[in-house]
Amino acid sequence: MAASESRVCLGVIVGAKGVNGEVRIKSFTEVPTDVGSYGPVESEDGTKTWEVRVVGQAKGVVVAKLKGIADRNQAEDVKGEKLYVARAKLPPPEEGTYYHADLVGLKVVLTTGESKGSILAVYNFGAGDIIEVGDGTTASVMVPFSDAAIAEVNMKDGVVRVEPLPGLFDDGDDDELIEEGDENADDDATEVKNHG
Amino acid sequence: MARSVWKGPFVDGYLLKKAEAVRGKGRNEVIKIWSRRSTILPQFVGLTFGVHNGHKHMPVIVTENMIGHKFGEFAPTRSFHGHTAATAGDKKASPAPAAKKA
Repeated sequence: MAASESRVCLGVIVGAKGVNGEVRIKSFTEVPTDVGSYGPVESEDGTKTWEVRVVGQAKGVVVAKLKGIADRNQAEDVKGEKLYVARAKLPPPEEGTYYHADLVGLKVVLTTGESKGSILAVYNFGAGDIIEVGDGTTASVMVPFSDAAIAEVNMKDGVVRVEPLPGLFDDGDDDELIEEGDENADDDATEVKNHG
Repeated sequence: MARSVWKGPFVDGYLLKKAEAVRGKGRNEVIKIWSRRSTILPQFVGLTFGVHNGHKHMPVIVTENMIGHKFGEFAPTRSFHGHTAATAGDKKASPAPAAKKA
């Protein structure tokens, strides 16, 4: 990992804003403006520390003032810096909720006992959280992070137990379904009448 | 231009059959589909589809808010890893948002 285990990356400075030393921060927190709510942040190598005061938002980024940065030149010098805080400063997550940082790297085991590697990444494309599971040797698999698919998340042992739903790791009934789809192809396209 | 209302929403016919079959079984199953163009209908709510993005099947848990959208909207075909020279380690850098079990 880029950071040590005890730190979490809250955002990254993507550029300068204005001439008064304000910076644009791409925030990774659930509420973007919370990037400065967990106390002073430090750089990836731990040599620099800043206090972040959020002053606004613009086009998917947070505009903030960092203590010690007074003009645009200084703001441009810190472009690309990742902002870290100690993991202990973050509040404990609610029941059934987990920090992405805690999930990535956990081992994945099916409820049948078969090992499937580990969690490589966590995504959300608008249809629920998805974990990418893989062992590095075979193609990774996307698993929905839902009660139906995830039987247990054991943080102490570092293991996630996944229910092997049909169609998740195997091909399920695909052969039958693909044939159905192929033979019907476009003629079977249905236009459902809108009675609304 | 928007699709004419008199035509109704478009959905591939075999998708309806698949959804009905899975509902009939009464158990959770990921329905693998390639039809990104199909509209999400009310009868799909609660089901999990594996929508192909050209590479792999992305799980899509259908909720009420998604009705009327297309399946393809929830399975992006491109992934942007940034312009900077990213290393394998960087990909695992820890974002702070929390994942919640649906």
